[in-house]
Amino acid sequence: MNFIMSIIDFFYMPLEIFSQTIVNGLLTGSIYSLVAIGLTLIYGVMIILNFAHGEFLMLGMYISFFSFTLLGLDPYLALPISAILIFALGALIQNVLVSQVLDSHPLNQIILLLGVSMLLIGLAQFFWTAEPKAIHVSYETEVFKLGILRFSIPRTVAFFSAMIISFSLFLFLQYTKTGAAIRAVSQSRAGAVLMGINVKYIYMLTFGLGTAVTAVAGALLTPNYRMIPTVGAPYAVTAFVVVVLGTMGNFIGAFIGGLIIGLVEAFAGFYFGGDVKIVASMFVFILILLFKPAGLFGGKTGI
Amino acid sequence: MTILRVENLTMRFGGLVAVKDLSLSVEEGEILGMIGPNGAGKTTAFNMISGYYKPTEGQVFFQGQNITGLRPDQVCNRGLTRTFQVVKPFSHLTVLENVMVGAYAHTNKNQVARDKAREVLDFLGMGDKTELLAGGLPIALRKRLEIAKALATEPKMLLLDEAMAGLRPRETDEVIELVRKVSKQGVALLLVEHVMRVIMSLADRIVVIHHGEKIAEGEPQAVVRDKTVIDAYLGEAQVDA
Amino acid sequence: MKTTTNSQTKGKSQGGSLWQSIFMDWDRVQLVISFALLALLALSPLVVKSPYYMSIIILTTLYIFTGISWNIIAGFSGQLLIAHISFLAFGAYTTFVLYITYGITPWVGIFVGGVVAALLGLGMAFVTLRYGLKMDYFALFSIALMVALKALFLKWKFVGSTIGLTISLGEPGFSKMIFDTKEPYLYIALGLTVIGIMVQYRLYHSKMGKYFLAIREDEDAAAALGVNTSLYNTLALVIGGAMAGVGGGFYAMYVTHIEPPQVFDLGFNVEIMMAAPIIGGLGSLAGPVLGGVVNKPFAEFVRGFVAGGNPAVLPIVYGLFLISVILFLPRGLTGVVHDLYLKVRRRYTSNKA
Repeated sequence: MNFIMSIIDFFYMPLEIFSQTIVNGLLTGSIYSLVAIGLTLIYGVMIILNFAHGEFLMLGMYISFFSFTLLGLDPYLALPISAILIFALGALIQNVLVSQVLDSHPLNQIILLLGVSMLLIGLAQFFWTAEPKAIHVSYETEVFKLGILRFSIPRTVAFFSAMIISFSLFLFLQYTKTGAAIRAVSQSRAGAVLMGINVKYIYMLTFGLGTAVTAVAGALLTPNYRMIPTVGAPYAVTAFVVVVLGTMGNFIGAFIGGLIIGLVEAFAGFYFGGDVKIVASMFVFILILLFKPAGLFGGKTGI
Repeated sequence: MTILRVENLTMRFGGLVAVKDLSLSVEEGEILGMIGPNGAGKTTAFNMISGYYKPTEGQVFFQGQNITGLRPDQVCNRGLTRTFQVVKPFSHLTVLENVMVGAYAHTNKNQVARDKAREVLDFLGMGDKTELLAGGLPIALRKRLEIAKALATEPKMLLLDEAMAGLRPRETDEVIELVRKVSKQGVALLLVEHVMRVIMSLADRIVVIHHGEKIAEGEPQAVVRDKTVIDAYLGEAQVDA
Repeated sequence: MKTTTNSQTKGKSQGGSLWQSIFMDWDRVQLVISFALLALLALSPLVVKSPYYMSIIILTTLYIFTGISWNIIAGFSGQLLIAHISFLAFGAYTTFVLYITYGITPWVGIFVGGVVAALLGLGMAFVTLRYGLKMDYFALFSIALMVALKALFLKWKFVGSTIGLTISLGEPGFSKMIFDTKEPYLYIALGLTVIGIMVQYRLYHSKMGKYFLAIREDEDAAAALGVNTSLYNTLALVIGGAMAGVGGGFYAMYVTHIEPPQVFDLGFNVEIMMAAPIIGGLGSLAGPVLGGVVNKPFAEFVRGFVAGGNPAVLPIVYGLFLISVILFLPRGLTGVVHDLYLKVRRRYTSNKA
C-alpha cells in the first residue's frame, strides 16, 4: 500500500502545475509541429529523409537575428524574410543537389544531405562564428496571465504564429491547384506525370516549402534564444521522432505529433529534470518504432 | 504420386477476397498449367504456395508434408522453388554468381556451387554468358536466368510465374523447349501463363482461375472449349492452340 | 551506392602463371592494391618521424579496419545501418572497464569488446526483425539507439558517466597495450586491418557472402532460393558489430580517454565508419582501403593547412567533399580504378591474341 502511495505521490501534480505544464508543452510543441511538418512534407513527396533539416531552422534563426540587428525589424515582422530566403535556398539545393540522388540508393541520399548539413554548419560558423548570439526584445520576459496560468508572450506569439502557418499550409495543400499537385505527386509520381504535372517543379517547390517552414520555426524561437551554428540539431532529432510518431508523410500527424512530443517533454522535464528531455523523446521514439512504426495514422500518408 | 496438394486456399486482404477456396494438385513429373484473366489471383496463389503470403484459410502440402505458412526459404529447402513474374535478378552480380546463390542451397562449398551453377547455365544454353552482369542482360536472357537460378536449387517442383511474358515468338519457343527439357529431368511444374500457345504445348492439365476461384480443370483441349472459360476470357487472351 | 563486384572481370586464367591468375581476377587485384597500400602505411615510420603525422597514419589504418566492418553490413548485406558507432563505443567501453576495473589486459579486452559489440548486434537484429523495421525505419532506429545509449552512458556511474573513462599513460607496458612511442600502435592497427581485409575477402567469396549480396540485391528473390534472410541479416550485424567492437577497443587504448559525447556522435560515426567505404566504393573489396587512405589524410590536411586555424573550414570543405563524392563518384574510387583496370586488361588480352 505504501508503495502504491509513493508512486501516486511521485506522479502527483497540483492542478496549477499540471495545467501550466500542459500550456508549456503545447507552446513548445507548436514549434516541433512546424519543424516536423516541413520534414514530413519533404518525405511524403520525395521519399527522402532530410538529414540537413535542422540547419534550415538554424539559418532561419540567424536571418531573424540579422534582420533585427541590421534592419531593426522585430523578429515576428521579419518572418517573411526568413521564409522567402530559405525557400529560395531550399529550392536551389533541391534543384542542384538533391534531385540528382532522388532515384539513388538511400545511403547516397543520406550522405549527400549529411554533407549539406556539414556545409551549412561550417558556413554559418565561418561567417558568424561559434559565439552564441541572441537578440533581446523589450517584451521577451513579459508574461500574459490567465487565471493561474502564465503565458510567456514570445512563446505565445510563436504558438499562434505556428498555428496560423500550419493551418495556412494545410489550406494551401488542400484547396489550391498547386497544393493538389503536390499531394498528387506524394501519392503517385507516375500518376502525377501522366496528369501533366511537372514533377521536377513540384519537388523544388516542396523542398523549398519544407525548409522555409522550418526556417520560420527557427525565426519564431529567436527572442532571447542563444543561437549557435549547431542549434538546429536537437530540433531535427525531435522532428524525426515527431514525423515517425505522426506517420511519415502525414501532415496532420506531424502537427498533432509535435504537440504530443511537446507535452511528453514538458511532463518528463517536470518529473525527471530538464536534461532528460532528449531521453524522453528517444524513449518515445524507440517505443513508436517498435510498436507502431506506421505511426498514429497507420501508414496513411495524407498530406 | 501427388507432389503438391493445395486445399481450400483462401486469401483475404481486408474486405477483398483475392483467392477463394482454391484446391488443386500436381502429380510428380507433371506439368500443370494455370491460366486466367489478369488479376484473377494466380500470383496470389503462387505467393501463398511458396510462403510469401500466409493463407487466410486452407493448406498446402508438398510431398505429403504440410508446408502452409512456412517461410519462402523453408519452402525452397523442401524442394519447391518459384520464379517471379517480374524477374528479380541480382543485378550487380554476374550471371554465374546469380546462379551460385541458388546452388548454395545444397552445398557450403564454393567450388561445388560454382560447378553446379555452370552445369545449370550450360543446360539452359547460357554457358558463355557467365561473366556478364545480370543487370545488363536483355529481357529474354534475364528470364532464362530466372529459371537457371531456380533450377540450381535442385527443386523437385518448379513454380514458373509467366516465364514467357514479354518474349518474342522465337524466344518463347526456346523457353518452351527449355521447360520441356526441365520436365524430362523429372521436375514437376506449375506454370502460370498468359500465352495460350505455351500452355497448350506444354501442359498435361490446366486449371483456370477467375476472380480468385477455380472455374475449370482438365485436359487442355477440353478446357479451352469449356463455355465458362471462354466467357471468362472473352476479349482477353487469344485461343490459338 | 552502386557497387562494384567482380563483374565482367574474371577473365579465364590462361596458363599457370601466378601473375596471370592474379591479374585476370579483379577481386585478387583489389586484394593486391589493398595490401600494397597497407605496405606503404607499414613502411611509413621509416620516413615519418613527427608524432603528429604518425598519429594520422595510425588513425587512417584503424579507420580502414572500422570501415571494413561497416562495409560488411551496409555494403555487403545492404542494411541501412547509419549509427554503426554504437558497436565501436561498446567495444571501447568494454575494453576500458575490463582494464581499469578488473586489470584485464587489453590484448584480451579488445576481443571481449568485440564479443560485447556482437551481442549488441544480435540485440539490434532481434529487435528490428521482430518489429519489422526495414530501410528508413532501421536507419532511424539505429540513430535513436545511439542517442538513447549516449544518454544512458552519460548517467551510468560505472562507466564514468559524463566524465568518461581515462587510462593513465604512466607506465607503458606491452601487456597493458600502452606504449611510449607511436610505432607499436601502428603495427597493432596494421595487424587488425590485415585480418580485417582477409576476413572481408574470404567472406565475400563464401556462401555467407554470396547470401549477403543476394539479400542486398533482392531479399524476396534470395528467399525464393533458400536464403534465410533473417538469419543472414543477423549474421552481418554480428560480424560487422564484432569487428567494430574490436576496433573500438583499440581506439580507446590509443586515445586513452573516452566519453559519451565523443563516441556516441554522428559526426564521428561518419568519419570513422562511413566515409572510407563511401569514398572508396561501398560494397567493394578495396573500397574501405582506397577510401580510407584518402579520407583521414584529406581531413587532416584541410584541418591543418587549409583551415589556417579556423575550425569552420573543415566542415565546409569536408561537406563539399562528401557531396562531390556522392554526385561524381557513385561507385567510389574503386569504380574508377575498376574501369581503368578493364581498359588495361582489354588491351593486354587483345595484344596477346
